[in-house]
Order: sequence, then C-alpha cells, then structure tokens
Amino acid sequence: MKSDGKVVVEKVGGRSTVTRCFSKYPLKFIIPNKVGPSKTDAVWIYSLTYGGGIVSGDSISCELTIGDGCATVLTTQASTKVYKSMGSKCSEQALEARIGSDAILAIVPDPVTCFSTARYSQKQVFRVVSDSNLVIVDWITSGRHESGERWDFDLYKSTNRILLEGDLPLFLDTVLLERGSIASIAERMQDYQVIAMVVLFGPKMKHIQNQVQEDVKKIMSEQLIIPSTSLGHQIMNKSKHYLMKPSFVASASVFGPKGIGVVVRIAAMTTESVYKFLQQQLASMEPLLGVSPYR
Amino acid sequence: MKIEPALLSLKRKSDEPGGSSPVPNKKPNSVEDGEEDLIPLHSLQITIPSSTALALTQPHHLMNTFFPPMEDGMEAHIEVEKPTPTDSHLQWSQWQLIDSILPTGGFAHSFGLEAAIQARIISGPEDLQTFVIHVLENTGSLLLPFVFSATISPDLETWQKLDRTLDAMLTNEVGRKASIAQGSALMRVAAAVFSETPSLKSMRDTSVGSGVVSFHHAPIFGLTCGLLGLDSRTSQRAYLFITMRDVISAATRLNLVGPMGAAVLQHQIVVLAEAILTKWMDRTVEEACQTTPLLDTVQGCHAYLFSRLFCS
Repeated sequence: MKSDGKVVVEKVGGRSTVTRCFSKYPLKFIIPNKVGPSKTDAVWIYSLTYGGGIVSGDSISCELTIGDGCATVLTTQASTKVYKSMGSKCSEQALEARIGSDAILAIVPDPVTCFSTARYSQKQVFRVVSDSNLVIVDWITSGRHESGERWDFDLYKSTNRILLEGDLPLFLDTVLLERGSIASIAERMQDYQVIAMVVLFGPKMKHIQNQVQEDVKKIMSEQLIIPSTSLGHQIMNKSKHYLMKPSFVASASVFGPKGIGVVVRIAAMTTESVYKFLQQQLASMEPLLGVSPYR
Repeated sequence: MKIEPALLSLKRKSDEPGGSSPVPNKKPNSVEDGEEDLIPLHSLQITIPSSTALALTQPHHLMNTFFPPMEDGMEAHIEVEKPTPTDSHLQWSQWQLIDSILPTGGFAHSFGLEAAIQARIISGPEDLQTFVIHVLENTGSLLLPFVFSATISPDLETWQKLDRTLDAMLTNEVGRKASIAQGSALMRVAAAVFSETPSLKSMRDTSVGSGVVSFHHAPIFGLTCGLLGLDSRTSQRAYLFITMRDVISAATRLNLVGPMGAAVLQHQIVVLAEAILTKWMDRTVEEACQTTPLLDTVQGCHAYLFSRLFCS
C-alpha cells in the first residue's frame, strides 16, 4: 500500500515513544509532547488535512504500528468535512493499524460530515493479537443540516475490520449509504441526524464494556413502551412526549470469542447528545490515556 | 398380459352382431371358445411397437392402442410435454423450502419490528411498508451475497468459510442469535427432509458439535438451494421472499395490520422487492454491507424490551 502517512510507536526507555513519523500532503500529523500528566504513558496523534477537509478525489492512506505495551490515541481537532464531489470522483481514506500485545489504540475522532453530493469511502483495518486493546469511534452526521443539507450526499461507505493473527475475522462491518437506492438515505434515517458506532475490544476495556452495556440498557429501557397499554394511557394524558421517537437510540452487543468485544450503535437527533454520551462512557479511560477523550 | 380383459370385452362387443349365428361344434359360453376367438386380436397386439406396449400399463394409452392412426402422433406428443422427473421434483422441493409450514422457526422473529414499535420508530400501519422495504434492502445488501455464494458452490469448505465470515459480520447480537437459531433449524429440517441429497446430512453430521460453524441462516439456505439444484437467482429471490413473509407475518401478530391487509401489502411490495433483488443479487461476500444502520440499532434494542412476543 502506498502510504501518505506512517507512525510507529515503540517502548523506548520504558515509555511509549514515536520512533517513526512521516506524512505528506494533504495529510499532516501533530504529535504534542504533553497532552496529559507526565505519569501517564500515552502518545496523542492529531490528524489534520490541509484545507480543513477532504476534497473530491483525495485518496489518503496511512499506517499505524503500536508496539507491545504502548498506548496511542488518534484523534482530530474538528469534524472531517467531505466537500462536494466533482463529477463521480470519490474521496477515500484508508487506515491500516497493527496493535501489539498489551498495547492500546484509541481512534476517537470528531464525526465525518459529508456536504451535499459528496462521495466518501473510508476503510480501517486493525490487526490485533488476543490481548491487544482497541477503541474505535466511527460516526457521521447528516451534513450541514443548519444549511438545510440532511443526508444529501451521494455516497458514504465506512468499513471497519478487526482481524486476529492469521487474518481470522473478529469483526467485519461495512455501512453503505448511497443515493439512488430503493429508499432514499433521509428516509432510511427518519428524523435522526447522527449515526455512530463505538467498538471496545480487549482485556483492558472490560470495565468500560460492562459499564456501557449497563448504561445503554438503562437509557433504552426508559424509552421503550409497550404500545397497547402504556401508550394508550399516555394519549389520554395528552402527553405528546410518549408519541415521539426517542431522540437517542442505542444498543450494545458483544462479539468475538468469549465476548472479547462490545459494539455500541447509536442513532441520535443531535450531534451534542452523542458527544455527551462518548464523553461519559470513555471518561474512565483517563488513567490509561492521560486525558479523557471528547473533553 | 394386462390388456387381456379389455381386449376380451372389446371382442365380445364386436362379436355381438355376428354372434347370434350358431356355429356348430362350439359351446358359446365356454372359456376355450373365448380364447380361440381372441387370437386375431392377440396378433394385433404384436404389431404394437414395444415402447408403446410399455406405455399400455396406463389406461388412457390403452385406448390409443385401438386407434392406430393416432398412435404415433400421440406418443411423440406425450414425450415432449411430460416434464422430466427432476424438474417436477425440484419444483415440489422448492415450494416446500419456502413454505411457512417448514419448521425452521421463522415465525419466532420480527426482524426488529417489535422493538421498532416499542421505540415508536413505527407508529402505525402506514409505517409498515417502509419498514418492510428497509428490512428487505438490508437483507439484500448484507445477506444475499452469502445466499449467492453458497448456492453456486454448495460444498463443505465454502459453506464453513461463509459461516465464519457472516459470524464476524453480524455484529448485532440479537440478529446474530436469530440467524443461528433459524440456520440450525433449517439445517436439521433440510437434512431430514431432502434425503435425496445425502450431502446435506453428511455436512451437518460433520459440523455439529465441531465448533467450526455457527450454522447461520443465509449460507445454509443457499447451500440447501444449491444442493437441490435451484439456480442462484431463484434462491436469492426465495430468500427475500421468506424474509418478507416472516416480517409481514410478525406485523399481523403484533396487530399492526390485519391478515387481509398483510396479504395485499405483500403483493404490493413485489415490484420493489424484485428491484432490490436486481440491485443486490450475485454479489461477492466482500461487497456485503449494511444499508440501514438505524434498523440495526433498533433491532439491537430487542434485548431491552420488558415484554415481548418475538425472539428478535
């Protein structure tokens, strides 16, 4: 794979250290020396693109290698904007990451925002061993919805693959939203403006996995109503709230052997509600990463 | 030999006009007499081609035998129109495979409909058609590649690989468990029912308890279709059909629509269902994807329902 960027993190003198870093236009990595308190051992990488977004036809690929026992965070400073497409050209981003034994990689970006007519395809492949740790947040908003653009792009495709040693598939997921399907994207999304996915994998994520499963169940249990009984009752009480869709829908599932992974899927009416959820759920990663993501 | 009684009766009728004239030295009612008189007709039988003689075991052919001018034409005509045993047998198998009476447990699943109602994503019968179309499109994009691949190469190795891939791809636990429940049931039923394809049973016996496969539904459906001899387009259409059948059936039991309304809806959706088939059929597993992530999120909520009729 021709790479536009490459970062290698290895243990040097007992600390996670960037031993190789390279990026070329339009991609740029910023690696601040001090993000969290000095006692925590984690490298924070900010990925930027010149022009503040991805232009039609851009094809950006990068590689990450996280050595045994290292901790790395890959994030952004603002949402990834995908500008209007010129002709049928598709913008592409590809990430290939290797995560060593006892290492942590957290991919915690801001959402992707596809402008009207944009075409965007993203593919992330994570190669792990059985005790690697991985957090993936992958999310998209309906577009510049304050300007009236709601699910108005031409194509969005996001692929996430987690492969165990020997290319054994643990988690394979592709979401495709394409104009010109039988049902329009907006129709498939109904009133929801954000679709998000959070993947938590590995032994160090156990407590977060348990917490998020409990929290999601609690949030949703309050939202779900049996229509024949309670709904009728609420109509009589003239409470419109109970006739409306929940503004935040989420569900959590375990995957992989021995339930080693948990995936949470979210559909929400506002971007803020998803930021709030992510911040709350990932807050307990602070000791591992130095700073809590989405703060 | 079997035609003798008929010949006998025919002989007697034709004999009647001249039978009244007494013949000396012959006892009219004796058995011997009858046998002697039949000799000319026996000689007639000898002229019948051997292929026709075999066909004579059936009564309607017997009649043709006695109208020699029609005989050859009839014989040729029958040969052309009669379906081959494999074709007709395939159709019976095909119908049985998609029949709701086949105990594969499809009716225990609502494909997220029950959760969607309780989450108020669906607030009335008018939302049902949209929901069914979304389910069909997601089935088309995510599962038809597995049905297709298993149908065109219905062997143990392909099936096991497809099963493992699908297990990693069905990341929603509710949907994954539903797929395993329906697939295991279909494999058990198909291995017992379609005994003329013993490889179904041998593949099942090899895999049960081995831990190698999870028995997901779509690859087993494709495998069964492939082994029965269905073409891949038919098997993919059949998979959309049974999905539509089960969602609409669930809608009637959730009181979203009456049985008559459900039947009308099922027929109305056909045009769109065929368009979905055309769009998503014959794709490789590498192309499999989700096209309605909202549906997947909502279906995952099924586990949180306090009271529920369905397993998924």
